[in-house]
Amino acid sequence: MATVRITFSELGKRFGSRIVLRGLSGELRPHCVVAVTGPNGSGKSTLLNLLAGVMRPSSGTVAYLRGDRPVPRHRWHGLLGVAAPDMAVYEELTALENLRFFARLRGLAHTDGELARLLGQLGLASRDVRRPVATFSSGMKQRVKLAQAVVHEPAVLLLDEPSSNLDEEGHATIAALVARFRGRAALAIATNDPREMAWGDERIHLGN
Amino acid sequence: MSVSTLATEALAVFAKEVRSELRSRVAINAIGLFGLTTLVAVAYQIGPYQIHEQDRPHLLAALLWIIVFFAALSGLQRVFVKEEDAHTAKTLRLAARPLAVWGGKLLFNVVLLAALEALLVPLYSVLMGMHVVGVAPLVVLLAAGCLAMASTATIVAAIIARASGSGTLFAILAVPLMLPLLVMLIAGTRMAMTSPRWGDLLPALQGVGALAGVTVVASVYLFPVIWHD
Repeated sequence: MATVRITFSELGKRFGSRIVLRGLSGELRPHCVVAVTGPNGSGKSTLLNLLAGVMRPSSGTVAYLRGDRPVPRHRWHGLLGVAAPDMAVYEELTALENLRFFARLRGLAHTDGELARLLGQLGLASRDVRRPVATFSSGMKQRVKLAQAVVHEPAVLLLDEPSSNLDEEGHATIAALVARFRGRAALAIATNDPREMAWGDERIHLGN
Repeated sequence: MSVSTLATEALAVFAKEVRSELRSRVAINAIGLFGLTTLVAVAYQIGPYQIHEQDRPHLLAALLWIIVFFAALSGLQRVFVKEEDAHTAKTLRLAARPLAVWGGKLLFNVVLLAALEALLVPLYSVLMGMHVVGVAPLVVLLAAGCLAMASTATIVAAIIARASGSGTLFAILAVPLMLPLLVMLIAGTRMAMTSPRWGDLLPALQGVGALAGVTVVASVYLFPVIWHD
């Protein structure tokens, strides 16, 4: 199956009179991790939101292409995996119930064993997967968030500060995740962490 | 668009709503306590003996639907408001198609409202001495009213979920939209208390059914626009 890439052209976003992004163009494609960097408030998260389609641009376009054929907007969600600080999972559900829900939404029939294995790969101990997320630390919640982003092996992976709230072991887990998806997904990471910036093959610096 | 996949997604959303609600019980407690408290207060103050016989169909029908309506208002908005409050709305937007989200949450509100009616209507009949002659037509009216009320509440909840003061805004938007529905439900219930004939309830049934249909169809077109920024 042809890989998916995202192209964006003259992308701009304003909130009232405040212009956050202007005239941004580029491409996300497999084998080329894009690191989006910039000071706080420079629009890193906004750019990822525009690329994910949860926010409409004030100007410019975002297109998903499979080969050379555009993917209709209503099909983007099946290709997309996103983890961001302003996203949460359901705290009244267990980690396993959360992942089962997000897998079912994407038409996946993973067994609980397979889902528990994925959570384990992201550093969640087996004794924790059946506990309500409300009892988790912020680092554990981040791992569940990452799991829901990758459970369906997305063709596009957008990570906003993926190592936030994670310890050194967690950071290594994210590094392994990036390495795993580098060759198969269009991957962008919004970050100010120098270690995460180092994962990028290309860099988009915002805020100047 | 695969209909079966959309249905599967909607059922997944519905199952999640049920599981979440059984754990937190926020909407169940709000709706149940409001309904029961209001019912007990009305039954205690008015009861079955304080109303003249000729006024009973009118007053009992009106009081019943006032209790059900305001109990529903206290809890049906939560399906979307809680997603925004808990910051799970964006996660859900990215994972599911809009119509699957709408369908699952509508189904949840229908079930919640049906449970409320199943609890309140028999209790009300006993406590207020409401004698229903047309039971089968009333059941159909209750079901149609449940769908109409739930579908209106669901789309209004989606509209106001991101607003501050969403509780007040929900009431402000929902009440005028539901007023014609309430009028027809009260008229139909009054008729069911005095006549067993389906024909006598038909105008109310047709009106409530039409409102339910219009709201559902309008929601199918409106919700995807509301759901995405």
